[in-house]
Amino acid sequence: MDFFCAVVAKFAKSTVVVIKCVCVCQGKMSQRAERRGIHVDQSELLCKKGCGYYGNAAWQGLCSKCWREEYQRARQKQIQEDWALAEKLQREEEEAAYASSQGGQSQPSAASQVPPPLAPFSKFEEKKTNEKTRKVTTVKKFFSPSSRTAPKKEPHEGKAPSPSISRQSSLETDRVSRDFVDFLKNLQKPGREIHKQCRAFIEGMSNKKDLSADELSECVQDFYQNMSDRLMAHFKGSSERVERVMDQVEQYIMTRLYKNVFCPETTDDEKKDLATQNRIRALHWVTIQMLCVPLDEEIPEVSDSVVKAITDVIEMDSRRVPRDKLACITSCSKHIFNAIRVTKSEPASADDFLPALIYIVLKANPPRLQSNIQYITRFCNPSRLMTGEDGYYFTNLCCAVAFIEKLDAQSLNLSAEDFERYMSGQGSPSGAGMEADQMWAGSGPAAASPAVAQAQRQLEALTALTQRQEQVLSGVCELQAELQQWELSVMRQVKGILDRYPLELRPPPPDSAPITAPAPTIDSANTDDDRLPPPLTPQLFAK
Amino acid sequence: MTAMRVDAKVVMLGKESVGKTSLVERYVHHRFLVGPYQNTIGAAFVAKPTHVGDKVITLGIWDTAGSERYEAMSRIYYRGARAAIVCYDLTDSSSFQRARFWVKELQNCEEHCKIYLCGTKTDLIEADRAARQVDYHDVQDFADEIGAQHFETSSKTGNNVDELFQKVAEDYNSSSFEVMPGEMSFIQKMKNLRLPHVALRLH
Repeated sequence: MDFFCAVVAKFAKSTVVVIKCVCVCQGKMSQRAERRGIHVDQSELLCKKGCGYYGNAAWQGLCSKCWREEYQRARQKQIQEDWALAEKLQREEEEAAYASSQGGQSQPSAASQVPPPLAPFSKFEEKKTNEKTRKVTTVKKFFSPSSRTAPKKEPHEGKAPSPSISRQSSLETDRVSRDFVDFLKNLQKPGREIHKQCRAFIEGMSNKKDLSADELSECVQDFYQNMSDRLMAHFKGSSERVERVMDQVEQYIMTRLYKNVFCPETTDDEKKDLATQNRIRALHWVTIQMLCVPLDEEIPEVSDSVVKAITDVIEMDSRRVPRDKLACITSCSKHIFNAIRVTKSEPASADDFLPALIYIVLKANPPRLQSNIQYITRFCNPSRLMTGEDGYYFTNLCCAVAFIEKLDAQSLNLSAEDFERYMSGQGSPSGAGMEADQMWAGSGPAAASPAVAQAQRQLEALTALTQRQEQVLSGVCELQAELQQWELSVMRQVKGILDRYPLELRPPPPDSAPITAPAPTIDSANTDDDRLPPPLTPQLFAK
Repeated sequence: MTAMRVDAKVVMLGKESVGKTSLVERYVHHRFLVGPYQNTIGAAFVAKPTHVGDKVITLGIWDTAGSERYEAMSRIYYRGARAAIVCYDLTDSSSFQRARFWVKELQNCEEHCKIYLCGTKTDLIEADRAARQVDYHDVQDFADEIGAQHFETSSKTGNNVDELFQKVAEDYNSSSFEVMPGEMSFIQKMKNLRLPHVALRLH
């Protein structure tokens, strides 16, 4: 049973099943603990079934034979329960999908919901649908050999990938599916039709794994065309609405197909990715000046835009839908335009933009660049790629990649020897127009690349700041010491004065003069009365 | 601007500093500005709706990098273009030699693309006739030979600029009726679509 639980826990995607198993396990353990007594009666050792053989605490007090029977029964029951649960979950999910595709009331997160009222035709629809979530499939797959009821046909059962991966990707897939269904709801009847077609198409595609990338692309493009033709007829030529629906269709089917058609094994996309990546790495020494890029990265806004552009072009790889990838490229381009505009204070033309884009690609070295370009080319809705703004920036990116692949000494205005030396890593350029050798002798590493130079400048600024801070600190210390000294000196002075004139309290004049009297007496000593003896007293204390 | 539907792709070809960007700027914003100006973020791509009869054709105008170092890439740019405006500077004969190069490229690779030869900076010629380095009749002969339209424009005064783009839009409108009423044929789109990556493979 323990083994069984472990296996179920490992494979079952349904938490309910797991929890149930854990409960069963805990029950067993507590029973076991109760039976571990010190005083054991002879009767307790015998099989609880009363078959006359000895029992075993580990078998709940049963003998081996009775335990096996009991265990088999419990196991069978468990299997049936799990099986029923799996079926229930699946039914719920399909119903939710179906109900919402019908344009009916919304059923968010179908699995966690109470089952909706059964539609009479749901059973029939079930068989047609291909959209079984993988978690149910996996549970079923595990149980189907041992269950008596014949499992339903699973068209793509063998394709279910390892559970952990599918769980991650299914999150996004589910979200997109929900959005798609929500969107189609507004379209009523045609929306249902669209949903059905998309699902049929995805199912069809999953059977075509052996096709080459170009053939797959052909399939998807044909689908786009058919869909768009039908929509065109339906919306009576309102291309705006057609485009909106097509965007959703693209998002839905490409999110689902992504795994199988992005960088497929039948192509050498991956090899090209690596080649491009290495190529860009080898070109790390290319500077802004060589490419004649009108960017001044010393301006904070420019360097900020450059960083954003780099982030966007790297981000492209993480998107699944061709349209989203294109949006990343467009956003990257916008940042580049902004950077050029700030630098030159006039709008950028293509003569400025292309070199800047090349520079950004070199700096970013975006992951799987070739695969992404191929993927967009193959599976993007053509109307977008052809003429629009996105298409323009995408074309520029293709140009940039082509340029980087072909790049030679001439295209950077370098001599062939210099180019060779830089490429082989034996030297690195020290900046515009400078010989590489000079760099090592003269200007130091600061000139090697703008980034290093910038880092150094910032370091210098930091050092200056530290110095000033130290100055301030030492000033503060001085001030503090001065203050303390001043305080001390004041105290000393006060004390001195107090010491000097304590007598004023002691010899009160016999004529009961006020305490302050002696002072005026001293001050006015010469003027008032010169026959008095007081002049002697200060002499005595001055000693 | 992003959401704007574009009917036809028009590429601007020409050597650096012949005034491709100024030409687009004049056409789209009706202005010619010298020195710094900040209102537009970039003039590399613009979509401009144009009235042709009672229809509206939106031209997507693609600026291209004219520098020689990007020459090999230029064919990636003009894939699927319905019109190419090949610009040359009337005061610079070398720019016309480069224009000839692009015309040849277009004829070889993009047979469905209409070619418009566009001499720029007529205002400089008007100020000083000796500045002209490209003869009008030579270009006209060349244009007849290749079946292209020929315009001489000034982005500074606006001379002939609107006429040029109007012609482009009209030609697109009439040719799209020839190909297929309404939408452009999908097969064509597909062909065009594939081309960027085919072009990448060529290198």
